[in-house]
Amino acid sequence: MAVHWFCSMTFANHQRWCMLFAVVLLGLLIGCGPTKVVVKGNFPAPLIEPLPLTLGVWFDTDFTQHEIFDEPTSRKESSWIVNTGAAQVQMWDTLLAGMFEKVVHLDAKPGPGQSSPEIDAVLIPHVEELQYAIPAQTNVKVYEIWMRYRFELVTAKGTPIAKWSMSSYGKTPTALLQSDQEAVNLAAVMAVRDAGANFATHFTKVPAVQEWLRDKGLQPGTGTP
Amino acid sequence: MSAASMRTLLLTAGLALLSACVTSNVDQMVYNEPTQGIGDASVVILGRRHGSDYETEPDFVKCVGDHIAARDNSVTVIDELEFLNALYPWFEPRSAPMHPKDIERLLAQQPVREKMAALKLEYMIWLDGSTVRSGGAGALACSLGGCFGFGTWSQDANYEATIWDLTDQAEVGHVNTSATGQSYMPAVIVPIPIIAPVQGTACDGIGEQLLAFLSSKY
Repeated sequence: MAVHWFCSMTFANHQRWCMLFAVVLLGLLIGCGPTKVVVKGNFPAPLIEPLPLTLGVWFDTDFTQHEIFDEPTSRKESSWIVNTGAAQVQMWDTLLAGMFEKVVHLDAKPGPGQSSPEIDAVLIPHVEELQYAIPAQTNVKVYEIWMRYRFELVTAKGTPIAKWSMSSYGKTPTALLQSDQEAVNLAAVMAVRDAGANFATHFTKVPAVQEWLRDKGLQPGTGTP
Repeated sequence: MSAASMRTLLLTAGLALLSACVTSNVDQMVYNEPTQGIGDASVVILGRRHGSDYETEPDFVKCVGDHIAARDNSVTVIDELEFLNALYPWFEPRSAPMHPKDIERLLAQQPVREKMAALKLEYMIWLDGSTVRSGGAGALACSLGGCFGFGTWSQDANYEATIWDLTDQAEVGHVNTSATGQSYMPAVIVPIPIIAPVQGTACDGIGEQLLAFLSSKY
């Protein structure tokens, strides 16, 4: 519409050629933009005996809208935007619902003013870092994603119970008829899935969490081996 | 010789030339083969993916499973992704058991024990390996007038299957397969790919040996 208006105003005699040129130019400009991947995937529920606890969950906007923007390091490379926010929320919602007897989503960040007596603890996950590698950068024929998470386990009033970090990794081999975007998406899905596996199998092994579970009258090994 | 039979002969020769050669080798070592096959129990074939520089291709795992199921439909092969999702997070690259004795640790959990029992799972087969392109030569140039030149490359497939008996929690067999093939791509206006079915040959080799272990008909 804007192209049509511009051409009819400025190049009335050569309107058709102007429009063709403008569309090609627009296409080239779009081609020069960053490569964007909005990570999409399916995440299974964990096969775990749920802990008999009510867990509150607080996802801040940095987490729910998590994305990285990576500038190219050479003229041959393009810039990338990898958005994992929606996939993170989807996976953590599914995982936590299977790991705990009851999960409650909080409307506000835990703090002194909050009062939720039924909640045993609140989990606040953060994505601290995300790195990716594509074959053009590494000469290895796999697409890779690394992520580093930071977790806070606090009471409903915000008093810290435990803090710990965790890494996750996903990779996918190059495949025929698979674009860079599809491969990065698959590697990111594998990394998010790996984060879930790492959390589920190590949650009760975090020393501060073990101590908190003992205070709750639970054996630290309950639910996970 | 009639013109029709001459045409058939030329066509057959042409088709034979269009398939490149593959050399393959299969080694098998089985300790405790079930005498009557696995009966109404099921088997799952999983790929090892904990290595940093390669991973067993899901397509290869599916090919081996399809090979077994197509030749003996009494053998129930559970789909890899279906199994990984059903048993999440216990068979992910970071958490998958590396030794048969690790299964005991998993079965100590009631939900895992119940799921395994529901699946009637008796054997678990781990496939480890990959197919890699090992070298190439030649040059191919394409323009609006078509493609001209000649390219060739070789591929190597190396896979190992390890069979676990879940009842005895023991390793009961190993199958190794390796295949090498050279592919060609001559181009005079139109490129003609003559692809060596390296991965397919490795899949057939390992599939046949596993079938002999699992099936009562072989």
